Amino acid sequence: MNAVDTPAIAGGAATPAPAGTPPLIVEHVAKSYDADGRIVPVIGDLSLTLDEGEIVAIVGPSGCGKTTLLNTLCGLIAADSGRIRWHGKPIAGQPSGVGYMLQKDLLLPWRTALRNVMLGLEIRGVSLSDAEERSHVVLDKLGLHGFAEHYPTTLSGGMRQRVALARTLVNDPDVLLLDEPFAALDFQTKLLIESDTAKLVRESRRSVLLITHDIEEAVSIADRVIVLSKRPTRVKTVYAIDLGTERTDMIAARESPGFTDYVRRIWADLDVTRQ
Amino acid sequence: MDGSASHSGFIPGASADDGAARRLAAHRRARRRATALVILTQIALLAAFLAFWEYMTAFDRQAAFMFGSPSAIAGFLATMAMDGSLWRDTYVTGVETLLGFLVGNVIGTLIGLSLWYSRFVSRVIEPFVIALGSIPIIALAPIIIIWFGTGLTSKIAMSTLSVVIVALVTSYKGAVGVDGDQINLMRTLGASKFQIFRKLVVPASLTDIFAGLKLTVGFALIGAIVGEFMSSSEGLGHAIFKAGSLYIIPKVFAALVATIALALVLTFIVGKVEKLLMPWRRLG
Repeated sequence: MNAVDTPAIAGGAATPAPAGTPPLIVEHVAKSYDADGRIVPVIGDLSLTLDEGEIVAIVGPSGCGKTTLLNTLCGLIAADSGRIRWHGKPIAGQPSGVGYMLQKDLLLPWRTALRNVMLGLEIRGVSLSDAEERSHVVLDKLGLHGFAEHYPTTLSGGMRQRVALARTLVNDPDVLLLDEPFAALDFQTKLLIESDTAKLVRESRRSVLLITHDIEEAVSIADRVIVLSKRPTRVKTVYAIDLGTERTDMIAARESPGFTDYVRRIWADLDVTRQ
Repeated sequence: MDGSASHSGFIPGASADDGAARRLAAHRRARRRATALVILTQIALLAAFLAFWEYMTAFDRQAAFMFGSPSAIAGFLATMAMDGSLWRDTYVTGVETLLGFLVGNVIGTLIGLSLWYSRFVSRVIEPFVIALGSIPIIALAPIIIIWFGTGLTSKIAMSTLSVVIVALVTSYKGAVGVDGDQINLMRTLGASKFQIFRKLVVPASLTDIFAGLKLTVGFALIGAIVGEFMSSSEGLGHAIFKAGSLYIIPKVFAALVATIALALVLTFIVGKVEKLLMPWRRLG
């Protein structure tokens, strides 16, 4: 682990970095696990860059260590070697200004939708009335007006995931790390939430690193798709996606002429073989 | 679990149409009928059992002496209610049970939850907790009487001891059972360890804590009654012990009925408090 003596910045928007510095730079990161005394390399020499306002999707074969990568980027686990820079600074603890969202909505069942959204603001000590107001604004934006006082158990899967998205966005992160956040949703709900996410992210020029196994999702939403190799994971190929359409409409993206070609090429690149 | 899972598309402001409201009402009626049938069957079973008991002891003096009879039990209950001993004994045992229940659960839950903080401490004390938990509380009764005397305190101590280890183990299980992803989420939101404890671990453990509370109502009552068996001048345990040693079987059963009623009332209160503290559990 590097740069231990840089203090972790607790919450809040990230400190401004010099213009043009990509929000995230990953250089030669490697990570192994110790499984009963045997060292299992999971990530082997992985480098990537996430630019400001860019949506990057990461696809890879099952079990290639995508989640390990994400947890490393969040500062939840330390890399064995290599460098991770957030806004030009070496990672130390949890990076600030980074939102994190998983396939599981992880809503707290004892909190209403509104109070779930307020969680991050509460933790950072934002005043209650201020937190409530900001949370209401984000919930309204995501079409959840009127559901603020509902408990998660009374919401559908799609609505719950929208609340989770609101909980991430209300902290005003400039980078979103998403680990298959839409994988558990049915197709129509998925397209709607993807479109809303893309809209909200692009209009505020946030950056997104989306981990997914859904190639069509990756191609329809991302500016670049990074294909990872099998374990130990490294970057295999990078595709710059140019569909020539409005990039906040998932249906238009899927209907654009270049779409199937990208999907086919990435599928071939993933090298999925029958077991 | 998720009643609304069938419509996953999101329709703002959508309301149920008349047909749906009718179906919902019909569904509710059917559910009420099913509940009523369960309760009626329970009452019928109990009545049949009591009638059988009454019949078998009505013409057999020896059986009546050995097993008592529902009518004799009712008679004793009436007498005990009239002379006030029923209320007095129930009150005494109730207070002992309630205090032991509260003290044991507060101490056990506080220790159990705070063990979440340190994996090291919890590993160190684990074998001691298991050892303490395996002691039959009744074996401690003579020492407890010596230490705390023959009054109320020794019964509360017995009751507390019956409860504390169970409360500790259930709350600790709840605390360490919190989803690791949920903890990670709190960390990425910038939560300190105390904030994770306060805002996630404690509320997430409530389900297990209440499961422990329901379990320990009975344990607290056993502790109090065993304490009364050893040495006492009042309480339901005292009444049972005294009537038993005088071979007044129906009176033993009468005191037992009061004991059961006490347990039911306490369990009912715990259930009410649970619903009050966890309103989200009623939904969905």
